[in-house]
Amino acid sequence: MSTYKKMNILVCSGAGCISSGCKDVYQTLHEHIGNQGLLEEVRVTQTGCMGPCDMGPVIIVYPDGVFYRRVKTEDVLEIVVEHVLKGRVVQRLTYRSPETGDYLTSQQDINFFKQQTRVALRNCGQINPERIEEYINNKGYCALGKALKDMKPQEVIQAVKDAGLRGRGGAGFSTGMKWQFSAGAPGPVKYVVCNADEGDPGAFMDRSILEGDPHSVLEAMAICGYAVGAQKGYVYVRAEYPLAVERLGIAIDQARRFGMLGENIFGAGFSFDVEIRVGAGAFVCGEETALLASIEGRRGEPRPRPPFPAVQGLYGKPTVINNVETWACIPPILLQGPEWFASLGTEKSKGTKVFALAGKVVNTGLIEVPMGTPLGEIIFDIGGGVPHGKHFKAVQTGGPSGGCVPARYLNTPADYESLSGLGTIMGSGGMIVMDEDTCMVDLAKYFLEFVQDESCGKCVPCRVGAKRMLELLERITRGEGQPGDIELLEELCHGIKSLSLCGLGQTAPNPVLSTLRYFRKEYEEHIYHKHCPSSVCAGLFISPCQNTCPANVDVPIYIDRIRNQDFAGAYQIIKRENPFPVVCGRVCHSPCETRCRRGLLDEPLAIRRLKKYAADYGVTHQDEITYTKSKDNGKRVSIIGAGPAGLTAAYYLRRKGYQTTVYDAAPVPGGMMALGIPDFRLPKGPLFAEVNDIANLGVKIVLNTKVGKDIPFEQVRSASDAVFIAVGAQHDHKLNIPGEDLKGYMSGVDFLRDVNLGRFPAISGKSVTLVGGGNVTIDAARCAVRLGASEVNIYYRRTRQHMPAMEEEIEQALAEGVRINYLVSPTEILGENGAVTGMVLQPMKLGPFGDMGRRRSVPLDEPPSTVKCDLVIVSISRSAEVGFVDGLEEVLRSSKVAKDTSTGIEGIFTGGDCVLGPATVVEAIAAGKSAAVAIDRYLGGTGQIVEPLDVERKYTGPVIEEERSRMRAPTLPPEARIENFTEVEQTYSKEAAVYEAQRCLRCDVRD
Amino acid sequence: MEHACICNGDAGAKLNTMFAQYQGQPDGLIQVLHGIQETYGYLPRELLTRVARELEVSSGEISGVITFYSLFTLKPKGKHQVSVCKGTACYVRGSTQVLGRLEKELKIKPGDTTDDGLFSVEVVRCLGACGLGPVLTVNDKVFARLKPEKLPGVLAKFTQVK
Repeated sequence: MSTYKKMNILVCSGAGCISSGCKDVYQTLHEHIGNQGLLEEVRVTQTGCMGPCDMGPVIIVYPDGVFYRRVKTEDVLEIVVEHVLKGRVVQRLTYRSPETGDYLTSQQDINFFKQQTRVALRNCGQINPERIEEYINNKGYCALGKALKDMKPQEVIQAVKDAGLRGRGGAGFSTGMKWQFSAGAPGPVKYVVCNADEGDPGAFMDRSILEGDPHSVLEAMAICGYAVGAQKGYVYVRAEYPLAVERLGIAIDQARRFGMLGENIFGAGFSFDVEIRVGAGAFVCGEETALLASIEGRRGEPRPRPPFPAVQGLYGKPTVINNVETWACIPPILLQGPEWFASLGTEKSKGTKVFALAGKVVNTGLIEVPMGTPLGEIIFDIGGGVPHGKHFKAVQTGGPSGGCVPARYLNTPADYESLSGLGTIMGSGGMIVMDEDTCMVDLAKYFLEFVQDESCGKCVPCRVGAKRMLELLERITRGEGQPGDIELLEELCHGIKSLSLCGLGQTAPNPVLSTLRYFRKEYEEHIYHKHCPSSVCAGLFISPCQNTCPANVDVPIYIDRIRNQDFAGAYQIIKRENPFPVVCGRVCHSPCETRCRRGLLDEPLAIRRLKKYAADYGVTHQDEITYTKSKDNGKRVSIIGAGPAGLTAAYYLRRKGYQTTVYDAAPVPGGMMALGIPDFRLPKGPLFAEVNDIANLGVKIVLNTKVGKDIPFEQVRSASDAVFIAVGAQHDHKLNIPGEDLKGYMSGVDFLRDVNLGRFPAISGKSVTLVGGGNVTIDAARCAVRLGASEVNIYYRRTRQHMPAMEEEIEQALAEGVRINYLVSPTEILGENGAVTGMVLQPMKLGPFGDMGRRRSVPLDEPPSTVKCDLVIVSISRSAEVGFVDGLEEVLRSSKVAKDTSTGIEGIFTGGDCVLGPATVVEAIAAGKSAAVAIDRYLGGTGQIVEPLDVERKYTGPVIEEERSRMRAPTLPPEARIENFTEVEQTYSKEAAVYEAQRCLRCDVRD
Repeated sequence: MEHACICNGDAGAKLNTMFAQYQGQPDGLIQVLHGIQETYGYLPRELLTRVARELEVSSGEISGVITFYSLFTLKPKGKHQVSVCKGTACYVRGSTQVLGRLEKELKIKPGDTTDDGLFSVEVVRCLGACGLGPVLTVNDKVFARLKPEKLPGVLAKFTQVK
């Protein structure tokens, strides 16, 4: 037995950490402790999996429970010198909270561990799995002793029944009932089998238990042997888990030596032994009848049930088959009592469940929580949410037999019944998180490939049906989908489901059915529009950036032009698809960058900044640019609203020869580009230059003219063959709280309009308060700083990562002295003598998940506080005012505007913010293009507004695959920004632009 | 005679022990095939008749089992076995691109061996290292969080020491 040590250092040696290099860390640690002559005082132990695979190699130092992550061999000396010798925690190696930025030294302070209840995983990461003594020290084999000494076999079975334990392998059948059937089956020879053929891709809890706590499985199998009257057990392990096989082998040898397996265990007259059987790579062997065939040395083909294995199983004898995690729950049930186990979890799903968190989630690894814990808590609180600022799309549970759960069901409790209600299954507990980069059609194809590959081939529906479905999905993802494909898929699904012999075939259609149920639109996009929104199906797009750009700009080609110093050429490539390169080069939210493949390697290409460089070059070198004009075609189009949507439509329609007139109520053209975005982000000069390009094509822009007020709509309508309404979303919503009529209350859009028109509100020395979290709020706050406000406070009801404003803008605002206060919501605006004096704020917290997968903000049970201020600027949401067109309000309200912008009202089209609500410039440009296409078609044209680009896609220089961070663009220092509206972000130098362009991986070049 | 060459030496001794252990036990077939493949890297056809004789199973049954299980192979493998995980977690994190690049670098498809006999490539369904995807293994060494661009570097580690 080991002697008492002052310090115990646990080194995780689970498969994940071994892959990350923990063996070397252990060796080095052992050497350094030895060099210091401390081996008497400090014990270094290799344990099984602790859970947080992504943080590996991880070590824990007891007695304080200090948790170190991503430890490298070169860090070990510091830990020994600082922590072991001097008692000082090495902070830089501890976990840093992503929310607060604080270093959390103790394991128990970290959300990942704090919210877990570990039953099956109780010893994983706590003991050395290769030393039976450590298992015994943690109450190991006590349950077996208790069963043999104090309980009758039937009492053991009753305890397992009372605990309400259900099979953790997937089907969820009552474990106690299984044991009961086997115990009641006649015959002297019976078997106990552990199903460790953990085939579900994405699940690795069985592996971790076998590697981290193999004795718990052996003990449980022996207990079952006693309860049902079996003397022999088999563990069937997949060959892909060599370490599990090795550690299990060691455990069996030790258990035999210690008399826990073998003849006359504990002197109670009960004999039991266990053998290992290694699988050979067949997913279907996870099915119990196939598994038994495989143990018998045959092809692992399932057979029909009944008879069930509990009655007629291995070698035709009664056999209990349970999965690894189920076995691991047995000893605690006997020791702590079935009531304790049943008190965890839900009414029908008792106890805890281990989940393997993987995919697009920050904290990948193994976790164990009470059954019924909401999915959102598992993924966001324990898992830390989706990395790299991407959005949660769905979670896939249950492996190839399961399905996907979309964002709107994040409040669903993770238990057997709730998950099957959503069309998926608990399965063995794999939870694979997906973000917007996962294509659901491709995912369905992936699972079908898997099933088709793993089908044993015995029954036709599974063997042939899966193949036919796969062929259909392959066709759809190649862009050859046809109307009727979805219906055919559904028909095949139902056929295979009802006619297959075993669970594999019966559940094979689930991934297709579930993605069809929640993501049918994605299938339709592929089939009808030949478009893969996630940029996965390679045949359907040029490059992820181009595919993601709402305006369809051919990004890799213009980047290549920049690389080759053909800047005018780059500008023209952009301008083909987007009449506002200067604007988008400055304010685009650049969805293209979020999909840039370079982002997987180091950082996404700085596409927006490159566009800005090319755009500024183009605007100042007009002599190098050529424009083509078309002849008038005699047809007239009127456009209401000179914002990005309206002007874009005008640009393309004019080029097709339409006589185009654009009306706007404002004194300047540009809509929100001119009136909603301040000069320090988008200077008016270059903006108006781009508007002038459009006017120079012959587009007539009529300003200071509000249609419906200054001129009647009927007059516009009767003078045109078609009308495009793009009036934006100018109507600010109110908070509906007392005090909104006070002087000093303003809407964000009104405030920005005044500032942009040079009507600066007198706010020098005043305290300004803003409510909201979008770009308008941030822009308004930054204006207030420049106008000399004494202090500027933003109040937002959620947290920073939920703010819709662009991250770069938030950072700039903070650098300029704006304060952002999170988790508060105003309940009243206070005033004296009719003017604002302050605001009452209710503290909020994040509550359940909303439909979009975002957490709702709900009031905290705390009293509100009051802040003083002189001005309140509110911008929470906006909508359009289109009352001047008969029937249009109703069309908008009932979301009846078609994707191509037609409204169902003859000759009337609409798009941009007035349909989308406050959106982005590039989305408005996309709407303008759609309108131009639709109007051209409506008036007898082809609908082709951009000629196809005739260009050879080839490398023009070496592809740089070494890590290289993106070029930063210089910005004005914060102190130089106050009291002026000079543009903050500077344009790249020529050298910087070319250097950055060289980082492009050229995803558009296919070979 | 025909298999005298491969049944000699240490390997032969190991085989003899194994055959003794499973003599006349058809249910030991899968374990025996594992033992042979561990020794030779594949299942030499000339040994299978001995398996049939020793375990008392028909050749047809042996063939059925070998073709059923994906781990068994009748073809010799390359010196370095590259296994690309296509479990769901690895798939979601980009294993398709990793495999694509590997095929391009080695100019072979899964299941094949390079002309110089240095590398074989296969696709495996989940190595259980889901927290670290995308993952591939070369022999027993695991390469985690792979990116397609890193593959030339990974392969170079094995081409330099031939």
